[in-house]
Formats: sequence, structure tokens, C-alpha cells
Amino acid sequence: MTPPRFAVGDTFERVREVDLYRPIYYAAASGDFNPIHIDAAVARDAGYQGVILQGMCTFAWLADACSAYLGDPTCVRRVQARFTKPVQVGDVLTFRGRCTAIEGPLLRLELSATNQRGEEVLKGAAADATIPGSWA
Amino acid sequence: MTVNKAMLGRRYGPYRFAVGAEQIRDFTATICGGIPGRIYAHPPVDAHPWCWDEAAAAASPHGALVAPPGFATLFAIQPFSFACKDPELGLNVLRLLHNGQELELLGVVRAGDVLQTTGEITRLQERGPLDFVEVTTETINQRGELVVRGTWSAVVRN
Repeated sequence: MTPPRFAVGDTFERVREVDLYRPIYYAAASGDFNPIHIDAAVARDAGYQGVILQGMCTFAWLADACSAYLGDPTCVRRVQARFTKPVQVGDVLTFRGRCTAIEGPLLRLELSATNQRGEEVLKGAAADATIPGSWA
Repeated sequence: MTVNKAMLGRRYGPYRFAVGAEQIRDFTATICGGIPGRIYAHPPVDAHPWCWDEAAAAASPHGALVAPPGFATLFAIQPFSFACKDPELGLNVLRLLHNGQELELLGVVRAGDVLQTTGEITRLQERGPLDFVEVTTETINQRGELVVRGTWSAVVRN
């Protein structure tokens, strides 16, 4: 397998749709059965318009967008984000990344996530990754 | 309700978590457009084979299914979860929002690993009607290797 090439300025993008049952699937896969992710009445009582997606699902999608760029699920070494806007059923999230620096085997990635209205659902999203094949 | 500042530095855990192959596959299906489970299930649309296909994973340098990076939240969250609902801390969980996350992934997590996560409350702050809580966690595997360090932030709107 030829190792993929990475360069400062690379960009990548991954789109994920919050279909009706995604918060329930994520609850099953993660064990997060907080009713605000499952029960619209509870979510409305908490001040949301309807059920909201688990922030950790958005976070996993963010990290997964990096893994897809890297071509290796084990190379993301650090990922961070602040959750600034609830993600709801019906939302379509676009995760974008840009390689801002390469320091030895380490790639620095600047990330964003926006919904279908162009609103940012995360702030301060960033990741570090190692170039595939360079695991110590 | 105000937070009990004496809880700064309170430690939680260790919490054990045995990483299962089906658990990795269910998680991968869920974040890659599939449906988890073994009944009304659907495979992922665009997963990396090392996180889904056991034969491909066995033939990989890692020798077993590997957890995608977001999977770390499943086991590493435990000290944060317990801290947030600790009656001694006194947070209103219904008004709690997990608003920030950082994970350092220091080692590969594989199906079959047995992990232990411990955590500590590293920040407690009141600002007007808002309470801020931060929990820092460390996860080691069965060989004692540090595999994940996490920083978990929550805000409570009182």
C-alpha cells in the first residue's frame, strides 16, 4: 500500500445527516439514554425544540472526518471541541478540516462543523494526528 | 443551587470497561450511516474496515478490531458522569450541558482490551447564574499503558 501524502493546506469534508432515529441508534451504541435525546416532550421541557443529538455523536463524527482524511482510524491523537449549538433531528452537518502544519510525524488540523443553515455547531474544533504508519 | 467547592480534586474510579468486538462494530455502524444491533441492523456506509470487518482487522497491524477515536468517550466518560450526578457536588443535572471535550488518544484501543478509567474534578467555578465543572480523566489498558486522557467540561444554568 502506498502511503498517502499529506500537505499543509490540504482540506477535507464529510457530511452527516441526523436522521430521525440517529439519536436512538447513538443511545444504543453508546449507552447515553438521557431522555433529551429520545423523548421530544422531555427535550421541549428542557428548552429545546425537539430531541437533540448527543454531543458525543457530533464529536465522534468530527474525529471520524479526520480519520477518513488520514485513511487510518488509529492516527487521530488529540481532538477537541466546544459544543455551542444543539444539533437536532433533520440537521445535516458538514465537517470541514484543513491541515495547518506538519511537524515531524504530526499533522495539525483545524476543524469546523456547520449545519444546513451555515451555523457553527462547534467552536474551537481542532485535532492533531500522526501520519499513518508512524505510530511509535 | 451552588456547587460545593470542597469537591475540587475529588477523584472517581477506577471504572472498568471491557471492550467488545460487537460494541466497536455497533458504534462504527452508528457513526457511519448504518444501524447498530443484530436484528434490525444495517452495515455502515463508509466505515474503515479495521473498525468493522473482523477479518480485515485481524490482518491489520493491530490484529483485532480497533476503536474509532470517538469510541473513547464511551469508557472515558464514566468519572465525568459520576461526578455530575454526585449528590455531594450538588449540580442540577437537568440543567447541565456537556459543553466541551478534549481527548488525547495515546494508544490504540482494540477489541478484547480491558480498560480502567479514573478521573478528578479539576475545575469548579461559579460565574453569575452559571456553574462550570471540569473533570480530567486517564484511561489505562490491561498492560498499564495510558491510552486516553480526557478533559470533560460542563456548564449548569441555574
